[in-house]
Amino acid sequence: MREIAIAKNREYTCTMAAQSSVPAVDIQSFAMRFGPKEVVKDLSFTVNQGEVFGLLGANGAGKTTTIRTLLSLLEPTSGTLLVNGKRYTPAMAATVGYLPEERGLYRNEPVFDTMVYFGVMHGLSRSDAKKRVLLYLERVGLGDKTHERLIGLSNGQQQKIQLGVTILHEPSLMILDEPTEALDPVNRSLLMSIINEQRTNGATVILVTHRMEEVEQLCDRILLLKDGIRALYGTVDEVKNTFGTTVIALAYSGTLPTNEKLYAITKQLPHYAELAWREGVTADEILRSLARAPDLHLTSFDVRRPTLNEIFLTLYK
Amino acid sequence: MWNIINFEVFRALKKKSFWIASVAPLVLILVVIGIEYLSTNNAATNAAQQAQAFSATAKIGEFDDSGLISQQLVAAQHITIEPSKDAGVTAVKSGELDAFFYYPKDPNVMNVEVYAADTGISFSPPYNAAATQLLRQSVINEVSTATKNNQAVQILETSPAVTAITYKNGAETEGIMGAIAPGIFVVAFVLLYVLLASFMISSTAGEKENRTAEMLLTSIKARTLITGKIVSIFILGLVQLATLAVPLLAVLLLFPHQIGLPAGITLGSIPLNFVPILFGALFFATGLLLFTALLVGFGAMFPSATEASRFIGVVIISAFLPIYAFQSVVNSPHTLIVTIFTYFPLTAPMTALIRNAVGSFSIGEALGSLAVIIAGAIVAVWFAVRAFRYGSMEYGRRVGIKELLR
Repeated sequence: MREIAIAKNREYTCTMAAQSSVPAVDIQSFAMRFGPKEVVKDLSFTVNQGEVFGLLGANGAGKTTTIRTLLSLLEPTSGTLLVNGKRYTPAMAATVGYLPEERGLYRNEPVFDTMVYFGVMHGLSRSDAKKRVLLYLERVGLGDKTHERLIGLSNGQQQKIQLGVTILHEPSLMILDEPTEALDPVNRSLLMSIINEQRTNGATVILVTHRMEEVEQLCDRILLLKDGIRALYGTVDEVKNTFGTTVIALAYSGTLPTNEKLYAITKQLPHYAELAWREGVTADEILRSLARAPDLHLTSFDVRRPTLNEIFLTLYK
Repeated sequence: MWNIINFEVFRALKKKSFWIASVAPLVLILVVIGIEYLSTNNAATNAAQQAQAFSATAKIGEFDDSGLISQQLVAAQHITIEPSKDAGVTAVKSGELDAFFYYPKDPNVMNVEVYAADTGISFSPPYNAAATQLLRQSVINEVSTATKNNQAVQILETSPAVTAITYKNGAETEGIMGAIAPGIFVVAFVLLYVLLASFMISSTAGEKENRTAEMLLTSIKARTLITGKIVSIFILGLVQLATLAVPLLAVLLLFPHQIGLPAGITLGSIPLNFVPILFGALFFATGLLLFTALLVGFGAMFPSATEASRFIGVVIISAFLPIYAFQSVVNSPHTLIVTIFTYFPLTAPMTALIRNAVGSFSIGEALGSLAVIIAGAIVAVWFAVRAFRYGSMEYGRRVGIKELLR
């Protein structure tokens, strides 16, 4: 697997150099209508070569529709959707690894046959696919399950096979639609390491998810869809700077005093609170004020920017 | 596409259920042959009764070179003695006689020849049995008076071979013999359709149930996928046919006397006429393509194979509808209902196969029906591709025809 990966890396490097000016994904003025319902409206964004891009949004926001249309599974109502500068066709399958939201495998077929089938489908030669399958199964600890039927494997083991099918041909663009959905912690960790590995190898990754902690860990840039409209777009920092308000998170015991001149309490639990400071007030002033409070014992005082999750929730309120 | 064919074919061949389905009809056929073999006496009795009825009502003539035929029996059955073999054949051609029997010098070595008016398709023509019965009955009389006649004993031990030639309007017809070779396509069509129908549906419904459709459609064109699946189904069908045909042919070749075809037909005597066989093959292939594509398409429209099976009974039954009107299709091919069946895409394959086998098709009619079936098959493949392209991602719900046509 390592040798194959190195060889593939060289290919990536060459391909990337040749395509450096072409975005991995370029979507312009995309709209999709199902009957009277417009599910995506005038959506434009690009995904650069080699970046991890988060496509976010609540259920029904239009994420999966966008990905399906990008991969030519659906025809757009209007707009252009390009992969490496071209409309996607199955002939480009060797360069794309797609893990759909609705996913599964042939439950009654042996693991080896199924993986080789999809490997060949993704442009590998049969002999190469067989080698890669064996290496992958060894790597993920399923070397002894090669000829077992999928139905005989545990859910976690089936998930590993599913991941293997997606990355076996080492695609230069990975599109993972809710990849960690229903994954156990072991497989989630495996997926994270695979995404990181692919990224290090130069692959572009589009992560379609509504799990904000994963986005913060992995993504260079994000786009948040709300009701089919682009609500946020940029690097994680840009999004936080643009849409978030810095807050003070307190852990305490006793009584938290109010102070309308310095801050407003935006969230309060028995031993935790978040404060939004007034304009022109500094964090030092607030800390000094709280230190003087008679019935308050502070255990932590943390000035932080909002999490993506908080921004997400704010947008969806 | 080879990857799909390889995967689909071998995954089916590895399943026990495929082989059980393939072997089950063979077992049933062998059981029927066995029962028939064991109940030879019943069959013989039935044949004798039919022969007696035929002899009692038909105008029959005979010419005897063997010297074995009892003149007493001939007279009792009102059979006329023709002046020569040629005169007897001419009398049948002209319609003066319903049947003429020619007994050669040694019926143990040479075939008894029967010339008769064509009375339609029948696996047990009564004139053959009547000719045999007359000879055997005559020999029984002979044996009772000369017990050491070896020729007579041999006739009683091994029934003499009979060849029959039939005539219609003065011209020779092939009768049941001519229907056998093209008729094999009728049997093959029915068998494969019955055996493979659920496989056709589940080949696409299974992708939907397994949630593999999206991954496949990003890797391969829907048309290539569907074509690969259809080719796989054809290959599996050929495997199933071979599973049936090879042992049956082996039995017929190895035991031609013990287990023979009906009416004394031998494999070597079956006429192989190019045109009906060619049309039979074309109707078989295009008809199977039409129904395979339709069922594959319907499989993609429904959330599961089970649900699809409930709704597509109409398609399955329509293929066999002409069998329910078999008599009309065979004997009255130009009635309105048969004409409709001939040119309506869902009933055309079976009707065309039957009419081609029994020889009630003109070339023009056959080409017309073939054109309808081919057009239907093209539309069905287009429908299957579209149904899979747009229906396979609609998990958990049925996709309407209107949606697919949009």
